Amino acid sequence: MTGPALTALAPYIVLAGGTTLMLLAVSFVRRGPVTLGMTLAVLLGTLGSIGFAANAGTQHVDSFLLVDGYAHFFTALFVLAAAATAVLTHGYVDRRAAQREEFYILLLTATLGAMTMAAAAHFGAFLLGMEILSISLYAMIAYPDRERAPLEASIKYLVLSGVASTTILFGMALVYGETGTMVFAQALGSDGSVLLRVGQGMILAGLAFKLSLVPFHMWTPDVYQGAPAPVTGFVATVSKGAVAALLLRYVATTEVLSLESLFFGLSLIAVVSMVAGNVLALLQDNLKRLLAYSSIAHMGYLLIAVLAVASAAGTEMAAETGMVYLVGYFVMTLAAFGVMTVLSADDDVEDLADYEGLFWRRPLLAAVLAGAALSLAGIPLTVGFIAKFYLFAAGVQGSLWLLVWALVIGSAIGVYYYLRIVFSMTKQMEAGDETAPTWWGPATVVVLGAAIVVMGVYPTPLIDAAREAIRAFGG
Amino acid sequence: MTVPVIPIEHVLALAAALFVMGLVGVLVRRNVIFLLMSLEIMMNACGLAFIAAGAKWGQPDGQIMFMLILALAAAEVAVALGLVLQLERRFDSLDIDTAGELSG
Repeated sequence: MTGPALTALAPYIVLAGGTTLMLLAVSFVRRGPVTLGMTLAVLLGTLGSIGFAANAGTQHVDSFLLVDGYAHFFTALFVLAAAATAVLTHGYVDRRAAQREEFYILLLTATLGAMTMAAAAHFGAFLLGMEILSISLYAMIAYPDRERAPLEASIKYLVLSGVASTTILFGMALVYGETGTMVFAQALGSDGSVLLRVGQGMILAGLAFKLSLVPFHMWTPDVYQGAPAPVTGFVATVSKGAVAALLLRYVATTEVLSLESLFFGLSLIAVVSMVAGNVLALLQDNLKRLLAYSSIAHMGYLLIAVLAVASAAGTEMAAETGMVYLVGYFVMTLAAFGVMTVLSADDDVEDLADYEGLFWRRPLLAAVLAGAALSLAGIPLTVGFIAKFYLFAAGVQGSLWLLVWALVIGSAIGVYYYLRIVFSMTKQMEAGDETAPTWWGPATVVVLGAAIVVMGVYPTPLIDAAREAIRAFGG
Repeated sequence: MTVPVIPIEHVLALAAALFVMGLVGVLVRRNVIFLLMSLEIMMNACGLAFIAAGAKWGQPDGQIMFMLILALAAAEVAVALGLVLQLERRFDSLDIDTAGELSG
């Protein structure tokens, strides 16, 4: 390994080293605020070292990792999402678990796994990143040790996610057997034999499971509902974002979608996910389950960016779309689950009925949740609109007409249940005098809510950052 | 003495058979311990396929992947058995269906 390669790995080294230090530290100091402070310090250090690592430019770390602007972009996104999750968790997990310190360590390892996935250029890195992320998540979901639902959700997720991982692994083995290499860039071979197609199909099916796309979505509502609210937010954003980042890079470097059957299959999955996710969301009365089905639809939308790679839109447009879309999706999803976490400080507040009249009781939180809902629906002046506009543009540019129609129809259905959230909050009610037990939780969600509007009104910096990051993408 | 060479197709067929057996086990079994065993069979099927592929190309990569799979399977089982203990303690049963609070 060379000097520049080590420089490029700085964020990974800082995060891995910081996690190790924290493992040692919690055996001496067991105080929540201290652990939270150390977690934020490690995450800040990781964020700061990205600038240093960017000096090294695009670096191939052997053939294992490809640390480029794309990887750094997602590293920054994952670290910020992890920081928001850490702050929101403080005050939530304390009341639900005897020991809360290990939660933050799991959060850091999960983030490390996600970062590895965004930089993976080899099946080995793919596997390691995916499993570091998943295994941390199993423990995070089951963390509250006084309740039953998290345990059930964790076991369900463990078994089903394990099946998806092994499916991906078997696909990798078949591809390796046909091509003789595990590097993404050569993973398509030349002849496109049957075994190779089967292998690539298995890899894509496993990834579709992790993104909870129809027909592999069965686990999503149960895990979303059973997991603690801040962890649900983390699963919905960082876990899915990492898989999406890897899928985009995988599809762009292997050109696997040039195989007609896989392109067709993935298009079908996208259309069905958009329609089924939105229709099933209409039937939900639990906000977590509603957001679970809405996330199925959103991951279906995201596939437009993935499929655009193999269309006339081209790799760069597709990557830019995917990145802008994921940033928007992260902000609005974290805001929604953040509000839920703050309201659930003592008891879980999940049913839509519990949110009635929220505008009169907790106007600030209600405003943020309304902003998140409107943004998820794609209303102008929110970041959700910018994200959807990008998908639309990429779909039109790539002549993916079927997908564009599904996007329009899905969004139209979606408006109904997102507005249902907003209307239920505006129901007239006597104003109570509820106050938040903490200030940092509401502060975090207000920042996220502000980000929804600011990026929706003035998206130029976000778009510039994405363009800057992909200049070296795919090389 | 010459060692008879096993054709890769045979090994892949065995790996695929093991994989399917594991998958059927996951779908059919309701006892958590058996679910985990079925999952382990699937993982080892992948490992076998990797080793066969590595042998075909005369590279060590396949075996390295198998070692990674072993390590990850061990980590996964460590977490899973912790959950199994909790399940036994909380529900007095290892049947996955007794833990059915969440509507599917």
